[in-house]
Amino acid sequence: MLAMGEVGGPHIKAGGAPVEIRGLSKQFGSVRAVDSVSINVAAGEFIALLGPSGSGKSTVLMSIAGFELPNSGQILIGGRDCTRLPPHKRNIGMVFQHYTLFPHLSVLDNVAFPLKMRGIAKDERRRRAARALEVVRLGGYGERMPKQLSGGQQQRVALARAIVYEPQLLLMDEPLSALDKNLREEMQLEIKRLHSELGITIIFVTHDQSEALTMADRVAILQSGRVAQISGARDLYERPTSLFAAGFIGEMNMIEASWNGTEVTFAKNFSMALPSSAVIDDVAAGPVMLTVRPERVEVMPEGTPGTASARVDDVVYAGAGTLVIASMACGGTIRARKGSADLSAIREGDRVGIRFPADAVLIYPRQA
Amino acid sequence: MQKISASSAPDLAVHPQPVRFFEASGRKLSQAAIVFLMLPFFALIFVAFLYPLLSLLLISVQEPEPGITNYVRIFENPIYATVLLRTLRLALLVSILSLMLALPVALLMARSRGPKLAFITACILLPFWSSVLVRTAAWSVLLQRNGLINQGLQAVGIIDAPVKLLYTQGAVIVAMSHVLMPFMVLPIYGALRNIPVELGRAAAICGAGPNRSFWEVTLPLAMPGIVAGFILVFLSSLGYFITPALLGSPQEMTISTLISQQLREFLDWPFAAALVGVLSLLVTAITLAFSRVFRFDRMMGAHE
Amino acid sequence: MNGRTLILNAYVYAVLVFILVPILIILPMAFSETEYLVFPPKGFTFDWFGRFFSDRLWMQALQFSFQIAVATAIASTVIGTMASYALVRGAGALGSLFQALLIGPIVVPHVALAVALYLFFERVGLSGTLAGYIIAHTVLALPFVVFTVSAALLSVDPALEDAAMSCGATRFQAFRLVTLPLILPNVVSAALFGFIISFDEPVVTFFLAGIRDKTLPRMMFDDIEQNLTPIIPAIAVLLTGISVLILIGAAALRKAAENRTMPRFDEMK
Repeated sequence: MLAMGEVGGPHIKAGGAPVEIRGLSKQFGSVRAVDSVSINVAAGEFIALLGPSGSGKSTVLMSIAGFELPNSGQILIGGRDCTRLPPHKRNIGMVFQHYTLFPHLSVLDNVAFPLKMRGIAKDERRRRAARALEVVRLGGYGERMPKQLSGGQQQRVALARAIVYEPQLLLMDEPLSALDKNLREEMQLEIKRLHSELGITIIFVTHDQSEALTMADRVAILQSGRVAQISGARDLYERPTSLFAAGFIGEMNMIEASWNGTEVTFAKNFSMALPSSAVIDDVAAGPVMLTVRPERVEVMPEGTPGTASARVDDVVYAGAGTLVIASMACGGTIRARKGSADLSAIREGDRVGIRFPADAVLIYPRQA
Repeated sequence: MQKISASSAPDLAVHPQPVRFFEASGRKLSQAAIVFLMLPFFALIFVAFLYPLLSLLLISVQEPEPGITNYVRIFENPIYATVLLRTLRLALLVSILSLMLALPVALLMARSRGPKLAFITACILLPFWSSVLVRTAAWSVLLQRNGLINQGLQAVGIIDAPVKLLYTQGAVIVAMSHVLMPFMVLPIYGALRNIPVELGRAAAICGAGPNRSFWEVTLPLAMPGIVAGFILVFLSSLGYFITPALLGSPQEMTISTLISQQLREFLDWPFAAALVGVLSLLVTAITLAFSRVFRFDRMMGAHE
Repeated sequence: MNGRTLILNAYVYAVLVFILVPILIILPMAFSETEYLVFPPKGFTFDWFGRFFSDRLWMQALQFSFQIAVATAIASTVIGTMASYALVRGAGALGSLFQALLIGPIVVPHVALAVALYLFFERVGLSGTLAGYIIAHTVLALPFVVFTVSAALLSVDPALEDAAMSCGATRFQAFRLVTLPLILPNVVSAALFGFIISFDEPVVTFFLAGIRDKTLPRMMFDDIEQNLTPIIPAIAVLLTGISVLILIGAAALRKAAENRTMPRFDEMK
């Protein structure tokens, strides 16, 4: 499990454990916070749990950590059933939202704490803690007290404390939400680097979708206690499997349309043929929801063949990009994001032709 | 409604597992741990507080014969009824005097910062560090016939000859206010300190002068603290023993000195028990009536 | 400073004089040569300290009170800290009952409790005993201990214990190694509270005291009632000296605590 690195370098090699969550449910009073959630995490995988507040993502994480007992379901870490094991017996590393460093202990003692709990001798403890500090690039900070460090440094210490005993699973509960933007991006890279260096399994809770997309191998979207979708960043953005996921990740145009099996019709009789890949699951003929990302919408002069005509309501210039908001004949609003340089002079009130590339459109059953 | 497309978990036969008594519910303590941690407290309170008080009350209605004769005696005998009324009046006067002393102090504390605040706070807390008996002794020296207060009053010419101050109700009221007044300052200060500074400015912008602002904004917002302090001092005064026993007149007994007398001089247990019963019922009734006020943090001025 | 503020300040300082004068004038009287208390004191002597320390009864009372106070401080702090911890970590319905019972010893007059305990102790053979006093004083001290300790517990981020447990600490280790060090200054003040409440408790001891086993407050009560000798201020001088030492110690503790406790939100900008 532990292979010391080559001479010199401060290496910690942990390796990762697979995590299996089976039918996890948790009830708080009459509220189902988590509703039969099942997720399989491969060894060494970096998975993000993404969802709005109240979606149950934290409860899932806390159940894995052992701070919540599920009402039903099973949690297996490295093949071992941990469902009802107390937190201290799970051998998990965890990074909390607000650093949660022990304020009365020095940085080194904070990092050495898990080793102390494991009965490791003092010299060994100090040596390994110092090494973990070097891994998070805080070598030499060991004698300081936590409150003498900046927020980003404190979170690094928390990270060192979580990995010092080489756990095979690292849980992170919105670890970057207390940091400001620049620090956050720096820490994102830091965590990714640690992940690839250590090969540890990471389960990361966040409500920040760009954070989830940039960091994780796979993202699990949670919605009212259920898993709405688990997939890689690209699939999640380009082929959301549900209307909720489509709306939750990034910006999305949603247009009411009707579907006859080969063609989709919207904006008063404007029809276009769609490849079968545009159909998510089985969509019966009838009313559907058509979705298209704003950056895929094409804005042409009015009357261009194959375009639906629309009226520009607003043009919002934002440096590199420009947002065009237009309303179509049916009354639906379309947002298009174009590079400012590519866009000919369009002004509010102009009439334009709107076109969606066939491979950019996805249709979903319309919700009741 | 949404299809879970990603999870491939088989439908396991998962049985809902109730949280067991000895099992910690995650980060929460187990029921067993909570019971274990609180048991010594409850045991002590039941054995050394509730049980003794209740069995005392039982005696008051069982001896010398079952019934409420002891209580009838308290309310029918004018001597005892007078004692009861005198005690209530005394408690009320002490509470009012304490409020008059405490409110301005709390106001100034709320407006002060730094060393001045520390100095006033230290003066207010000093009595907590000195013995009640020592302070009572000090008052009896001050109030002596040739004591400092009589000398002072003569020097300023208010009186010609020394007057009797010691062993009067006035002495009891002043000395008790001296002891209890800090208990009034803390909750009022706590309430005042919680009033945002902006509110005063807002009142000023709205056209309220300092007087109006005080009566219309500050005072209503400080009311919970004032009520808490007042009730606390009133309750403490009702059963106060040391000061009336040492500085009060033997002819003007309070309920607590009467209890002591019945018990120690006449050994009349059931009657003393009935007096305790009346006192306890009075205190309990007031506490329940103002139970909202009895938030611990508020009584202590919301800071340690 | 305008007129209104001036009047307020003048009034408040007058009140502070009212508070301080009785506490301060008592001290010099300890050195009076007279047999009874007078102010200003006459002459200068250390006699009364000598009499206090050489009198067997006073010394017995002092020792007895000291024993009671130390035991009360320990008992009330242990019991109170246990209960506060359960309370703060979610005791549910039991917690509500706990809080309701907690104000009992504060609002029920000490006279009532004293009489009730006297009767109870007479029956079970505890009256006049060390154990009896300790039990009675622990009941009186508990609310103050619980308040002091739970205030500190509430200011400790519960996630710290979570963090400790995720590091492999058991619940008890998490408490002992993380929470307890952080609340220690308040636990020590709570113990001090317990000590002082017991050491200076006049009412319950007045009723519980037998003829022989008198506590210090009971001896002082009798002296004030019967003789009013300068032995009272002599004791006051000694107690004040001890209080000052304790206050200095507490200040040092606080300073140590300030270096430890991290204001959680200060760092978050």
